Amino acid sequence: MPADKSEILQGTLDLMVLKTLSTMGPLHGYGIARRIEQISEEALRINQGTIYAALVRLMQKGWISGAWGTSNNNRKAKFYSITKTGRKQLSAEARSWERVSTVIGRVLRIAERG
Amino acid sequence: MFAWIRTLASRTRTLFSPRQVDQDFEHELETHLDLLTDENVHRGMTPEEARRAARIRLGGNTQLKDTNRELHGLPFIETFFQDVRFALRMLRKNPGFTAVAVLTLALGIGANTAIFSVVYAVLLKPLPFTNPDQLFTAFQANKQQGIAETGCSYLNFEEWRAQNHVFSELAGIVAHQLTLTDGGDPTVVNTSVVTSELFALLDVKPLVGRIFSPQDGKQGAPPVVLVSEDLWRGRFGADPRILGTSINLDQRPFTVIGIIPGAFHTPFFTTKQEVWIPLVQDPVFSTRMPQRASHLLPVIGRLKPGVSVAQAQAEMDAISGRLAAEFPAENSGWTVRLVPLQKEIVGDVRTALLVLLGAVGLVLLIACANIANLLLTRATSRSKEIAVRTALGAGRARIIRQLLSETAVLGLLGGAAGIALAYWGVKALSSLLPSSLPQMNPIRVDYFVLGFALLLSAIAGVAFGLVPAMFAANADIQSSLRESVRVGESRNRRRARSFLAAGEISLALVLLVAAGLLLRSFSKLMSVSPGFDVQHIVKADISLPQFQYSEPRQWTAFSDELLARIQSDPGLQDSAIAVPRPIADLRVTLPFDIVGSPPVSASGAASRTTSYVSISPGYFHVMSIPLLSGRLFDQRDIMSSPRVTIISKTMAQRNFPNQDPLGKQITFGFPPAPGVMHEIVGIVGDVRDDSLGQDPRPMVYVPYAQAPFWGANVVVKSTLSPSSVAATIRQEVQKIDKDLPVTDVAKMPDLIDASVAQPRFRTFLLGLFAVMALVLAATGIFGVISYSVSRRTNEIGIRVALGASRGTILRMVLRETLVLTFAGLAVGLPCALAGSRLLRNMLFGVSAGDPATLAIVAITLAAVAALAGYVPARRAMLVDPMVALRHE
Repeated sequence: MPADKSEILQGTLDLMVLKTLSTMGPLHGYGIARRIEQISEEALRINQGTIYAALVRLMQKGWISGAWGTSNNNRKAKFYSITKTGRKQLSAEARSWERVSTVIGRVLRIAERG
Repeated sequence: MFAWIRTLASRTRTLFSPRQVDQDFEHELETHLDLLTDENVHRGMTPEEARRAARIRLGGNTQLKDTNRELHGLPFIETFFQDVRFALRMLRKNPGFTAVAVLTLALGIGANTAIFSVVYAVLLKPLPFTNPDQLFTAFQANKQQGIAETGCSYLNFEEWRAQNHVFSELAGIVAHQLTLTDGGDPTVVNTSVVTSELFALLDVKPLVGRIFSPQDGKQGAPPVVLVSEDLWRGRFGADPRILGTSINLDQRPFTVIGIIPGAFHTPFFTTKQEVWIPLVQDPVFSTRMPQRASHLLPVIGRLKPGVSVAQAQAEMDAISGRLAAEFPAENSGWTVRLVPLQKEIVGDVRTALLVLLGAVGLVLLIACANIANLLLTRATSRSKEIAVRTALGAGRARIIRQLLSETAVLGLLGGAAGIALAYWGVKALSSLLPSSLPQMNPIRVDYFVLGFALLLSAIAGVAFGLVPAMFAANADIQSSLRESVRVGESRNRRRARSFLAAGEISLALVLLVAAGLLLRSFSKLMSVSPGFDVQHIVKADISLPQFQYSEPRQWTAFSDELLARIQSDPGLQDSAIAVPRPIADLRVTLPFDIVGSPPVSASGAASRTTSYVSISPGYFHVMSIPLLSGRLFDQRDIMSSPRVTIISKTMAQRNFPNQDPLGKQITFGFPPAPGVMHEIVGIVGDVRDDSLGQDPRPMVYVPYAQAPFWGANVVVKSTLSPSSVAATIRQEVQKIDKDLPVTDVAKMPDLIDASVAQPRFRTFLLGLFAVMALVLAATGIFGVISYSVSRRTNEIGIRVALGASRGTILRMVLRETLVLTFAGLAVGLPCALAGSRLLRNMLFGVSAGDPATLAIVAITLAAVAALAGYVPARRAMLVDPMVALRHE
């Protein structure tokens, strides 16, 4: 059950998928997974299957949409693209993520000094 | 946030096309795998290696699909449907079990729903008026005179209205019957005589026309009448042109101003009222309007919003105080009692209904215990299936959920059947309901009652399912799986089954004791002699129109002629007149004083009151009431001769202990002449004139010739059929006056029957429930013992093989039965005693803890239980040891 995993991780993956789709345009599941791995310089080696849970969640929220198409090497694949509400959500989430990470960074620094 | 709605919508969609979702996902995964494999091949792996690495990278195929399905669907609902489907399959596979369980449950829930529909309509549902919580009755009470509840005089009513600040409106209401001579044969109509405020107070909208205005209540206003929808449709063909025309009531024209909807019930009266007229227009009651001592009007009031009962009571107390100071002769000692209208209407039916509801609830509890027992038996034989499920990874919660789904389905099936039964039961109940039961709201299975039934079946389903489910989920998988043929029953489970069976006995005992007490009390009631001969007595009521027969002289003339005519008919010689007749709805109670002893008001003692009946000379003979001493009334006792009275035995014993009352004088009479001197000329036997259940009250009889009424109740003793008696009376009445109706012809035995309708109703129902409980409990015992015997076949075989005699085996099994039974009885007895205390006020001639009833019921129950245990015990006795040993 997805609920068993920590919410932060889920949210993080969702955010990364949104960001990827917003910069790269429509991509299929494999493309998204590869892209995230490349950007993170292979630091984030996810179980690629988990990307699909994130995609279903984002679809259900209406932040991305999916359509069947053909990949470069002529395979049938589902291409995902970010929607208008998805973009709005992304900027909101990104801002709040930055805020949170700043705060956490500050707290950690204080903790080190203290 | 709409996100979750969208999520829900998209998930719900998936419920209907699960396969499509699966296929799509498979395509996606396939493509992903291919792309990963390609990448790995690029890196120099062999195709096989590449494929394998890609699989690992992607994650477990099945797990991914499961996650996907869960994300897409509504897992709770899906597993629920799965459970329900499975439950239905299991129930179909065991048709015998299912039939027994559903039937048991249907009986329990059906009976509960039917009784609840009555309780709901009578006790719970608010009265069908606007803001019914604000409605109160205001009665007058007098502690010194021992009067708890009576009407108030019209003059006091006017003071109440003028002086109070707590009620937004007050209205008075009385009822009697008037003769209607339009639209067909003369007939008597139930007439409510009201002050003009009543309909505005109750916020009743007329179907057509208007309700009374304040002007209609004034002296000298033209007479107007409101007609009920039923009368309007039945007698006047629903003709709207009736408005503005006049109809004759007691041969006086009243202008019809409105039609009152059929759904309206006049408070206080269980009979349907047919016309309403202003008090000032009534031939009888209007004459009493100027009398301040005449306790004429029961009053209804509507509290102003925000006013509490305590405030209202305080205000009315203050007004009573002022009135007592101003008019001490009529008002000293009189107070006002405020009672919520609903409470007043429901009256003492409340306890009886709640007892019935409790009883029927116990029946359901026994039914649930029975089904729980059946389920426990089944759970034992299913423990292997459950062990397999557990071994395959089903969690404890998941198994409990599955088992509970099964019992919930069972509960709902039983509930559905029960509701069907309740529809039928309510119909049957309606015909049984005593007519005195207040029915302001119609009794039917409406949404609220349906909701109750559904809730009941859901609760029942969980209640009888929980125990077996807990046991099943706790089962030891290892041993369950290992045992090949015989699946062992845990000690705890056996104990639970015995506990349930014993509990059923306890509950059945409670019900049986209650039913036994009511039954004994009812048979005592029925064997009470009313004090007169009821056989072959027919009574008929005739009321004389006030406007034509306004003089007492006319009343006597009419009754003399009528009696002479009736008595001249062959077979009807034994006829007499009595007002009011015995077992009547109405009774006249008057205070009295004994000449020569200090008057009550002066001595300060509790007031003396007596019932009052006016009779024609032949009355005691017709009714076979014995003359104990003195003489009967005869031709001497006429209007112009000295007033005489005959008193009852109780009256004589209470007021003239160790004296001869004959020749003594007592004073009584109606206002405005309350102190009329009467000489006692005779003493007669007591009569239970009110109801069989009440001790005879003191009574005075006076000659009709000296105390005529405006109507006559004729009693005839005849061996002719009641209908021919009625026909003759009708004929003779019409010969005297063709506009006079004869109503309410009835046989005296029927009247006695009707007077015990309420006790009969509750005795019958409680008896029915007790029988249901007895049967259910016997089935429970039977089930437990036969299961125990079948499980012990092996052991019994060994015992027999080792030389145990059949008698020993029989005794062994019977002992098990009796231990259960006596445990149940021991627990049930104190409960039954506590329960029967609730019945205290409904019992007649039997005490709540009546030892004979207890003993008989306990013995009956033990005998039935022993019989239920004997059947399987016999089977055990006849076990063939060879077969039993091979049974393994």
